Amino acid sequence: MLGYICKYAPVEIFESMGADMERIEPDVTSFNQAEQRMHPNICSFAKGVLEEVMDRDYEGVILTTCCDSIRRLYDVLVEEFPQKFIYMLDTPRITKDAGVTIYEQRIRDMIRAYEDFSKKVFDQSVFEARLRADHESRQFNVKSDQVNIGIIGARANDSIKEILKDNGANVAFDLTCTGLERRLVYDEKGVMTGYVRGLLGQFPCMRMEQAANRDELIRKSAGSVDGVIYHTVQFCDNYAYEYAWIKDWMDRPMLLLETDYTRQSCGQIRTRIEAFLESLPSAKDNSHKLKEVHETMEKNKPVYVMGIDSGSTSTNAVIMDQNKNIRAFAVVRTGAKSGDSAHKVYGKVLNSAGLEPKDISWIVSTGYGRVSIPFADENITEISCHGKGAHYFNPNIQTILDIGGQDSKAIRLSPEGDVKDFVMNDKCAAGTGRFLEMIARTLEVSLDELGTIALTSTENIEITSMCSVFAESEVISLIANNREKADIANGVCHAIANKAYGLLRRVGMAPEFMMTGGVAKNPGVVRAVEEKIGHKLYICQEPEIVGAAGAALYALEKIS
Amino acid sequence: MWIADKYINYVKEQTIAHPEESWGKILLGFRLNKFRMKVLPTKGISKGNQRLETMMMSFVADSLARPDSYVWGNIFAPCEIIQCFGLNTLSIECLACYFSGYHLEDFFIDHAQNAGIAPTLCSYHKTFVGAIDSGAVPVPEYAVTTSLSCDGNLNTFRYLEKKKGVPFTFLDVPYRDDPASVEYLAEQLKDFGNALAARFGGRFDAAALGQRLDIENQTRKALEEFFRLQSERYYPGELIHHLYLMMGMHLLIGTREFLDLIRFMIEDIKTYPKFDGKKILWVHLIPFYQETLQSYFNTNKKYQIIACDMSMDSMEAMDITKPFHALARKIIHNLYNGSYSNKAQMVGRLARKLQPDALIQFCHWGCKQSSGGSLLLKEKMQEMNIPMLILDGDGIDRRNSHDGQIRTRLEAFLEMLDEKETAEESEREEQIC
Repeated sequence: MLGYICKYAPVEIFESMGADMERIEPDVTSFNQAEQRMHPNICSFAKGVLEEVMDRDYEGVILTTCCDSIRRLYDVLVEEFPQKFIYMLDTPRITKDAGVTIYEQRIRDMIRAYEDFSKKVFDQSVFEARLRADHESRQFNVKSDQVNIGIIGARANDSIKEILKDNGANVAFDLTCTGLERRLVYDEKGVMTGYVRGLLGQFPCMRMEQAANRDELIRKSAGSVDGVIYHTVQFCDNYAYEYAWIKDWMDRPMLLLETDYTRQSCGQIRTRIEAFLESLPSAKDNSHKLKEVHETMEKNKPVYVMGIDSGSTSTNAVIMDQNKNIRAFAVVRTGAKSGDSAHKVYGKVLNSAGLEPKDISWIVSTGYGRVSIPFADENITEISCHGKGAHYFNPNIQTILDIGGQDSKAIRLSPEGDVKDFVMNDKCAAGTGRFLEMIARTLEVSLDELGTIALTSTENIEITSMCSVFAESEVISLIANNREKADIANGVCHAIANKAYGLLRRVGMAPEFMMTGGVAKNPGVVRAVEEKIGHKLYICQEPEIVGAAGAALYALEKIS
Repeated sequence: MWIADKYINYVKEQTIAHPEESWGKILLGFRLNKFRMKVLPTKGISKGNQRLETMMMSFVADSLARPDSYVWGNIFAPCEIIQCFGLNTLSIECLACYFSGYHLEDFFIDHAQNAGIAPTLCSYHKTFVGAIDSGAVPVPEYAVTTSLSCDGNLNTFRYLEKKKGVPFTFLDVPYRDDPASVEYLAEQLKDFGNALAARFGGRFDAAALGQRLDIENQTRKALEEFFRLQSERYYPGELIHHLYLMMGMHLLIGTREFLDLIRFMIEDIKTYPKFDGKKILWVHLIPFYQETLQSYFNTNKKYQIIACDMSMDSMEAMDITKPFHALARKIIHNLYNGSYSNKAQMVGRLARKLQPDALIQFCHWGCKQSSGGSLLLKEKMQEMNIPMLILDGDGIDRRNSHDGQIRTRLEAFLEMLDEKETAEESEREEQIC
């Protein structure tokens, strides 16, 4: 079996020679082997391919000179597997005649090399038969009864499509390298030249000179869907340029989704996609469960609903009555198992409200642990819930900054309180509550003290490192230089504010601003963010329960 | 310096507050610096390096002052063809460095990232995109880029064409080294010459290009001689002078004045004493701002960078009778093109010529094509018994280079070299006894 990765690879030639061809789609949990052989900053996809090739028994791998990372992957594979057919096909970026001519020549060289390696023979007539048998299949599939989503950008693996399917959304098109059907051209007058022209004439990827033509097709395709997912791969920078360009003119809601091709990030991807689907105006309701609630609800009895926000640091619950009054709320630290903490907060909030489990008509869970709460009737992402909760506490809010334990996010609301856009940072600890905890430990102060002492700072210290690990080292150096704790704490608060500012800028800076999450209780960070954005932040009395309140509001909407 | 620092801070503040109104101030600073270098050259460095920095500052300041005098390029763009039209090539990588003279790289990088450009992209490209996108820097009439040596080139120039309307020529450099590749690229270079003629007027003179390549051949030979001398003599300079040399070898190569400068440096270095310290061959970019590296390699008699691979990334003589083919061959044979084993061989050849005590490769943030094969280069150096250090950091963005980590690695490596020398000496003494 020969592996390949690129749509420009002449797969049909190898098939006509009797080779079994497989497109390598890495499905790995770690890059343990890749990181021993390649620099960690190489694109995640290339590292994933290396892991796959090392684990499985390929006869060889056909690579194209598609990008810097793949060129370096070739170097490593050749070194690791000198006995295998590791071939680098030099693929031109120009699709005009000169490109076709040189690519045809390259492909003929490759055929000879494979004949030498495998002792198989290329037969033009078998190849022609293979080409004639193929036809282009349909690439667009819009369904009227579902939310239609288009996928654009860097190669996307099946997990994105599966999440969309799980949520009842239809993938109307996939314009990434993995979604496009092959375009085969059969030209009697020059079979090989026609075939090569067809290969190079496919919908261009970002490495091709003519990628400017992408705009037109993207514009046309996007017009038929409810929303677009723009996919990028970590450490592959090429597609971000296109995102930066089309976000200014795209007239459909668009989600920028970065993945790293490992299974580890599956939960984060799910949250982003589900939040995006929830934010679409045409999101469909899944209301079959409600029938039971309506049937059993006694009309003359007060109605209560519950929202539970299972975050990485705290698990929060809110009970609300049918008039949107908060009857009770509770906050507990999240332990090792989010399900246990949810049970704990459930009991605590019921107790504080003086209610029984049977009194609660509908429970909506949210937060990272939302899917691990068995007694919830429904789960909704924390992005939608924070939006809903923020609008409830202050209807003038249009921009939310939520800094939680393990991620931070900026959410943009419409004046009506609907989520219009959001960005998340959950790739690194910098700019999150965890980062503050880490620094507080280093400074030997409690988390609460960190914010208060920052306010007493007299000298500005800039923490320049963008990575939390580097920043911690920087703080240790500052301690070693006898700098004041208050000044260091203030520097750390400003570092968080700078990160937050980047997120807020990306969703647009529309006043009024609100800050939610546990870090909103830190006066040092609040002051630093206010200085950076030049606006006051609205912070409600219990900033940790905004998500849970939003979840309760969703529950009320559901049963009303 | 106090006045200079004040001005730098003032320009930075003004650019952040009003990017679209700050160009005059940025340009004035470059011109003042050029004047300063002429009348008050940097103290403590060699005359050759003083002349080198003045030439580079003048080149940038004078070009930027006349928007019709230059085109944008990348560092591997064929400046020789552009020179034939009386135009200069300002590479985006070098301009990014000059903007960082105002410590503006963080503002520009954040600007680009906030627009959606990937944080993992090379910081030179991000700085440049942010500078242009923010409106702080005006745009020229035309641009050119090669696909060599990174994916960012085509995408950065295409992005700026769309956003700011700067048309460009794209030169697709094949990966393979064979006659078909040379032919393919030579045709593109010819078309590029014609495109410049159509846009800027005049006819393309192939003989004039041949003359420039002749000067280029002489310059490359002279530089080789200079590097050989630099491995023998202590020649006071700073990290940034290696970047200036790299810049000259890519943007001023083919000009008489640059050849004369290298010849002057050859004569100048002969007046300096013998160098007894550790000789370092540097691979890839140099973070000129980095404190620890400055403390070890700026005018230090114990450790000297004797050459950087990027200044000698093309090593062969060119056939001046076939200028387009010669240029095509030069670009295809560049050390940064093709497989990494090709690069390892070329670096190995350089090492055999210059006999360094050690090699340092700097893995610049975002540069996949270089960082990706660093472990392979280390294997090659091990075969040649040359110690090699891989340093991670950022050539321009100070926030991505952590001084503590660089210091620990570098000092441990230099200690290791010193111990190796002591061990070798005692072994020799034992043999003599």
